[in-house]
Amino acid sequence: MSATPTARHRPVDLAVVAGRDQENLIVGNEIVRHRRASRLIHWSVSLTFFVCLFSGMPIWSPIFGWMAAFFGGLSAARVVHPWAGIAFFLFSAVMFFHWLGEMRFLPSERGWLGPKALEYMRYEGDDSEVGKYNGGQKLFFFATALGALGLLVSGLLMWWPSAFPRVVLQLSYLIHDITFIFFAIAIVFHIYLGTAAEPGTFGAMTRGTVTRGWARLHHPRWFRDVTGDDGSRRG
Amino acid sequence: MVMQSLEIRRSSASVWGIPSGIRTLPTVSKYIDTSTCIGCKACEVACQEWNDLRPVQTAQVGTYQTMPTLHPEFWNLIRFNEQNFDGGIAWIMRKDQCMHCDDPGCLAACPAPGAIVQYANGIVDVNQDLCIGCGYCESGCPFDVPKFHATTGKMAKCTLCVDRTTVGLEPACVKACPTGCLQFGTKDDMVALGNQRVSQLKAGGLKNAVLYNPAGVGGTGVVTVLAHGDHLDWYSLPSDPHVPILTRLWKHVVRPLGMVAIAGAVIGAFGHFTKFGRKEVPGSADSGVQPPPA
Repeated sequence: MSATPTARHRPVDLAVVAGRDQENLIVGNEIVRHRRASRLIHWSVSLTFFVCLFSGMPIWSPIFGWMAAFFGGLSAARVVHPWAGIAFFLFSAVMFFHWLGEMRFLPSERGWLGPKALEYMRYEGDDSEVGKYNGGQKLFFFATALGALGLLVSGLLMWWPSAFPRVVLQLSYLIHDITFIFFAIAIVFHIYLGTAAEPGTFGAMTRGTVTRGWARLHHPRWFRDVTGDDGSRRG
Repeated sequence: MVMQSLEIRRSSASVWGIPSGIRTLPTVSKYIDTSTCIGCKACEVACQEWNDLRPVQTAQVGTYQTMPTLHPEFWNLIRFNEQNFDGGIAWIMRKDQCMHCDDPGCLAACPAPGAIVQYANGIVDVNQDLCIGCGYCESGCPFDVPKFHATTGKMAKCTLCVDRTTVGLEPACVKACPTGCLQFGTKDDMVALGNQRVSQLKAGGLKNAVLYNPAGVGGTGVVTVLAHGDHLDWYSLPSDPHVPILTRLWKHVVRPLGMVAIAGAVIGAFGHFTKFGRKEVPGSADSGVQPPPA
């Protein structure tokens, strides 16, 4: 075997290697934001969410009946949905405890339920004290955890309709629907902000890394903590 | 089963509503006179036989009643009840079965297109091929009729012998009834018969006799003469059955609003993008700061 570099001897991508098991680490121009375990957990939740979405929406309304074709028909979707829901909840629970420690609200993040979220969406507002996660991300984290729990409890009741009084079932359908509606709206913005609106963000969940510039823009305090950089440019 | 020869008046989970057919069929009805029922259970057996339902384990509930409730393999149940009445005993026997509501709660709750249909003649039927076995219908029925069949994974209930009535026969239970307390015909005829019988009972001293044909569900395809209409609980019948308000709220308010809200979120994201665009990492702040690892 020749020692000359070939396609089979690509330089080792140090950021990716570091990102296997380390976070908050500078590698060249990149910072590892999510180690491999975090990303795997996130994508497990994501995958099971979409299985639930596509198997549940055709049952929600016949308008989305075509989605049942992914599973081989509505009957199959109905069989897949509760089990996918269980998987979704279990992965969500793992994710919840995986990230819980980093999601404590700071006093400065109180306003995120109202004006701060709007300022953020206008790309205004003072982000200088934003750590690894901003208030909106923390809010999303707890909202989806609560949503997953609501979907689980109402879904379990719906799974055995003969075992519960009719009014309990009727309430379960309502709660399952309302929770899903809020969940879906949150996910729309989660995906939008993570892809189109904020370039460089999606890489945090694929490669696991972000650029220094990205970190300085979106999470300045985290950037300072990780780099020791006070914000002025350094060579 | 679905009888293709009958037009569909209403179908579950149809997006635009699909009344089909150009013929108008007279609405049919079964007449039950509890005051002349002798509790022989011939109708129970006839139902089992005609519909080829497997015998199920009976349960002793302290009366002559065969089963505590209806069952996916037992669609016709005479409910026995004893009540003190007028210094003696009123021995109540009421034929429990699908009421074939004009406004069926099961159909309103069903999410599977075409799984529950109402034929042009008013019969409410389950299409076993399209039923997905979710059990939503159980939550929508004010009479606790649809039952989930654990073996087939589908819902099953009385079809008003649609396979017999379509070809001009009366339902099997009516055929078997030895006292004539069961009759089958057009709804108008059966209601007239019921009103006539109620008048007879009232004249005979049963002042509270009624014809049970509750308006809350638009009337039922099974009309029942009750000698003690002031005690519907004696017959295990609800006083004001209707499609549950929570089912209506779920299907007609929350669901459309939810779709609008989710679509609004998607449109809102697009709108945001057109107005605010990307939140770019400023300029070349990072370029050349440190070369990426080679």
